[in-house]
Amino acid sequence: MIYLDHAATAPPDPRVLEAMLPHLGERFGNPSEPHAAGRMARADLEAAREEIARLVGCETAEVVLTGGGTEADNLAVLGRAQGIPGRLVISALEHPAVRGTAEALAVRGWRVEIAPVLTNGCLDLNALDASVRSGDALVCVLGASNLTGVLQPIAEVAVLCAERGVPLHVDHVQTASGAPIDLSSLPGVVTAAIAAHKLGGPRGVGALVGRGIRSLAPISFGGGQEAGLRPGTENVAGAVALAAALSIRQGPDAVAERATRAALRDQLEERLGLPVAGGVAERLPGHTLLLTGLRGDTVVRLLDERGIAVAAGSACASGETAPDATLTAMGIAAAQARSAVRVTLGPTTTQSDIDAFVTAWSELEPALRAAAEAAA
Amino acid sequence: MIDLSRAGTVARPDGEGRAGGGRCDDRVRFTLGLDGEVLRQVRFGADACAATTAAAAWLAARAEGGTLLDAARLGLADVLAGARIEPAAAECALTAVDALHAALGDAVARGARVAPSAGRSLIAMSGGVDSAMVLTEAVAEGREPVGLTLRLWIDPEAPSPDRACCAPSAVRSARDLCHASGVPHLSLDLRADFRRTVVDSFVAGYAAGETPNPCTTCNGAFRFDALDAAATRLGASEWRTGHYAQIVERGGTLLVARGVDPTKDQSYMLGLVDPDLLQRVRFPLGRRLKADVQQRAAELELAAARAPESQEVCFLGGGALAPFLARQGVGMEPGPIVDEDGVELGRHRGARAYTPGQRRGLGVSRGTEALHVLKVDQPRNTLVVGPAGRLGRREVPLRDLRRILPIDTVDACFRLRAPAVPGALVPDRAGAWLVRLERDAFAVAPGQVAVLYSDDAVVAAGVVAG
Repeated sequence: MIYLDHAATAPPDPRVLEAMLPHLGERFGNPSEPHAAGRMARADLEAAREEIARLVGCETAEVVLTGGGTEADNLAVLGRAQGIPGRLVISALEHPAVRGTAEALAVRGWRVEIAPVLTNGCLDLNALDASVRSGDALVCVLGASNLTGVLQPIAEVAVLCAERGVPLHVDHVQTASGAPIDLSSLPGVVTAAIAAHKLGGPRGVGALVGRGIRSLAPISFGGGQEAGLRPGTENVAGAVALAAALSIRQGPDAVAERATRAALRDQLEERLGLPVAGGVAERLPGHTLLLTGLRGDTVVRLLDERGIAVAAGSACASGETAPDATLTAMGIAAAQARSAVRVTLGPTTTQSDIDAFVTAWSELEPALRAAAEAAA
Repeated sequence: MIDLSRAGTVARPDGEGRAGGGRCDDRVRFTLGLDGEVLRQVRFGADACAATTAAAAWLAARAEGGTLLDAARLGLADVLAGARIEPAAAECALTAVDALHAALGDAVARGARVAPSAGRSLIAMSGGVDSAMVLTEAVAEGREPVGLTLRLWIDPEAPSPDRACCAPSAVRSARDLCHASGVPHLSLDLRADFRRTVVDSFVAGYAAGETPNPCTTCNGAFRFDALDAAATRLGASEWRTGHYAQIVERGGTLLVARGVDPTKDQSYMLGLVDPDLLQRVRFPLGRRLKADVQQRAAELELAAARAPESQEVCFLGGGALAPFLARQGVGMEPGPIVDEDGVELGRHRGARAYTPGQRRGLGVSRGTEALHVLKVDQPRNTLVVGPAGRLGRREVPLRDLRRILPIDTVDACFRLRAPAVPGALVPDRAGAWLVRLERDAFAVAPGQVAVLYSDDAVVAAGVVAG
């Protein structure tokens, strides 16, 4: 199989598995216990936490390990939206983990403002500037769109929020796979969500990181683990895996790997010659959203039959293909949005994968276009 | 694997059909190239989701090289199994099935012919319980049935478009019923012809203040001819419908006669059918009671046994006459309601939407007496009303009279299942015909069809002229 859906989940990196395995075996202790096994687990956990903090640019005490990216996003939003309902501003690009949480708050009386996006896939900073005001409970902007891969102007957003004293949450779940994350450079009260499985780690572990952790209210209760923000016996193996995955994707070797990935992506786009959503903006290195002009899900199926895994840009749900909200926000027409196919490369992607994709595409494209034309 | 090798269009196709464009905007088109009754070439177009595209590709591959009737046996269940489509995507696959069947029907409409077979019966399928029973019995009899549904009318603006007799859902349920027994099913799209011959004349009749009878006109001038032509093309030696009527022979002539079930007799609706067709038509339910048919259908667990009975004019689609006429561009202007002395009793919302005999919806009274429409005075946009007793008539002039047998002593019937009134067919002074009745006939309106029976068999029919 040629796997070009790294943004959905990345194949496990053997180095991550190797780092994690002992913690599923002999190093099994509960970090809360004072005996030797517990102390060993505590030390492993804190070492992982320290590594995570170092790699994202925050204090060790500013890392809350969670059960994944969605849980981290929920904690960041719900942990901030306390007391009398107020106002939140979220970007039109948000992943459902944030958008869905904001919608749930709207039901409880919170006012949710959606900050618009420009046609290039970037957040409209002027509109955000006009929207955010002092007293807002939170601003949410993702670091990179999981659909288009377009990187968002987080530094500017952080300044804008800090000026008004409004906390900022950044969903960095997709960003961490291919762009540097440095929270230390961002002013103000900031949190960020990350997840291991987008980085070659296992599913079911993520973290909420950043100095904003210190002022969050808990949203779940129990034994007080993770500074009381994520109670429950810690997933030491997951924490170690997250640290290992981050150190690969955010470490010194990542710079060259990202450049290789971006070059393969650029080559793919050039060989295909298709319009690309957000193609003019700065994007994650292996990410492209092709506007094929055909039905996205049909292209996905045909490529799958040829052993190539990619994703459709819009999901067909109950007989109705709803164009993705992000693409609609970018002003892409429904028919074009429906044709979107997301191809995401990873560190393991090779030139021969790209060649195979181009070959498969050149085989199926004429027939599929003939089919579409014959339906007219 | 989705086989895209048949994506494209047959040059100068012998049949072409489309479906889709609904909620998810999937579109499928089939084009067929015929060699006799063999589908020499089948090409598909699909601008559609993966499931729909897979279904279209599979159907094209499966249909190509087989006969037209083989292809007409292909249904949803075959596609779901053959193209391995999840049941959740059945609606997607259905778009492809609809398109193929539209193409097959179009091929028949364009003149495709199937080699005759003495055992073949064409079954006119409406999707209702009666035609379902006719089909089931033909299968049990060992005949070689072919189901046929005419698509006559779709009015998306009607309150319940699916209540029209030939709505897409009715076509599908007729098709499913056939396919469940391995019987080929075809549907012919005759919407343009139906509009021209039946609906336009119905609308024109109302616009002129008449009360046309579209069902009788449809059967007589249109539907039976279409079914007979299709039966010939599909090589059927006979064709059957689920009408509650009989065919009897009088002196070497075949006549339509009343069905045995008096509550369901549909002979009136067949009053204008060309007697020449009767040699090839069978009405297997003519000697049956509707209640028995329903009970038998329930025993057989026919899905159609639960279908709602259609009693109304099919193309009204569950709505009232006035809004239908308005949708067809017939203007409605308020006007006076007067009694026979010309005294205004109230106002109506448009005389064209009323029918002589009508009592409901008038909203006028005179003392305690119930008032009925006696006359629709179209030029003056006036309704003349009076008591029920004034509705009776003894002489009814006719136009367009067709006499099948030269019998003058008749029982006249002016609407479906109205009691027949004995009388005589006599020439009037101007050389036209009138029926002179022995008793009053009530609520006889111009434009209605007069069906004249002798001994329960239709011997003549014409249109009420005034």
